[in-house]
Amino acid sequence: MALGFAIGVFGVLILFHAAYSTIQYRGLLKITEEEFSGPPFNVIITLSSLNLLTMMRFLLSNLWFLGSQVVTELSLGLVLCMWAALTVPGKFLSIHPDSEENRIVSLPANVDFMIFNHRGKVFPVEMDLKLKQ
Amino acid sequence: MVTKTEENQLNRLESQVDNAGGGAWEYLCLVRKLKLRRSDKVLKHGLSILNNPSKRSALGPEEWTLYEQVAVAAMDCQSLDVAKDCIKVLRKKFPDSKRVGRLEALLLEAKGSWELADKAYSSLLEDNPLDQTIHKRRVAMAKAQGNIPGAIEWLNKYLEIFMADHDAWRELAEIYVSLQMYKQAAFCYEELILSQPTVPLYHLAYADVLYTLGGLENLQTAKKYYTSTIDLTGGKNTRALFGVCLCTSAITQVTKGKSKEEKEGSQVQSLAAKVLEKDYKQRAPDKLPQLTTALKSLTLSS
Repeated sequence: MALGFAIGVFGVLILFHAAYSTIQYRGLLKITEEEFSGPPFNVIITLSSLNLLTMMRFLLSNLWFLGSQVVTELSLGLVLCMWAALTVPGKFLSIHPDSEENRIVSLPANVDFMIFNHRGKVFPVEMDLKLKQ
Repeated sequence: MVTKTEENQLNRLESQVDNAGGGAWEYLCLVRKLKLRRSDKVLKHGLSILNNPSKRSALGPEEWTLYEQVAVAAMDCQSLDVAKDCIKVLRKKFPDSKRVGRLEALLLEAKGSWELADKAYSSLLEDNPLDQTIHKRRVAMAKAQGNIPGAIEWLNKYLEIFMADHDAWRELAEIYVSLQMYKQAAFCYEELILSQPTVPLYHLAYADVLYTLGGLENLQTAKKYYTSTIDLTGGKNTRALFGVCLCTSAITQVTKGKSKEEKEGSQVQSLAAKVLEKDYKQRAPDKLPQLTTALKSLTLSS
């Protein structure tokens, strides 16, 4: 449990480092050339640094202009975060309605319509049941 | 709906609490959540918590819910003085509460003084005319006095206003079945299936009612609902499997005089019969010969 958590944190840190290095590289690009090849990267990075699709897009867009460092960091962070997300929360519940743990055994007794003059009235009352003040 | 995991948890807690192992508060919470009717155990263990001042103060504000739960359980077990004491304590704490007023009217009902209880409920309804529980208690009172047509009338009036209350539809369906008014009961079960289509027990009850009504169309619809129950429960519901076999044989009996067309109905029946035999072989092998003779007689008579 703690191991999964630690690996998850590590994966997030790797992702943030990849994002930071991309920002730095974009800053460098802004100095050398005036080209925007996409929406403001900062926004994407900060808002969805853990978002899977953005990461995939990130990976693909990084492939042809940043080279292997950020790509490996991103893929490693993806794998680590996914593994941590699946392991840390614990046991997954079954969703089949007819599985052994989910099947409906009985309907709730209609307590709103409960009547009190049933045959249980003739049972002797236990005398020691009293509410002490 | 009580699922298997919840039932296991309930049984475990119950045996733990009965053998004086503690955990009474979790048991009471679970009973309250699942809306079960275990009045004798609730009364015994609830009183054991309430009579112990240290345990009582450990509950904090939940103490009053426990008083209410114990009061209702006491009324069900006919320990009316315990109920009266609990309600007195609640009244002292919440002097202007409608919930306590409802409990007091419930106590009058449990004592058997129907007119006083009726007056109390009407006065409570004047203050808030849309209180669902009080309407339902009026139905229950009519039922308790044996006035079933009156109960049906009240319940119909209630359902005209609160059409989404599936507990009330279920109650109405059960009352109709007890009076053998199967067409109306079928209507109620249709409403239940509409609102909760994934509960297989409603499909099963509806199919039972249709099969009881008889007639070719009803039998065909009943067979469809038995098969949908089998679908929802993954083939584990023995009653639905039997229902399919019986429906098929009844249908072929009804259509015997008419032109015989080869339908695939027999496929469903033979599959259901096979599953039944396998199930019986696994769980009750000594009853298997009886089952095979019964199934053979069904297919022979068709």
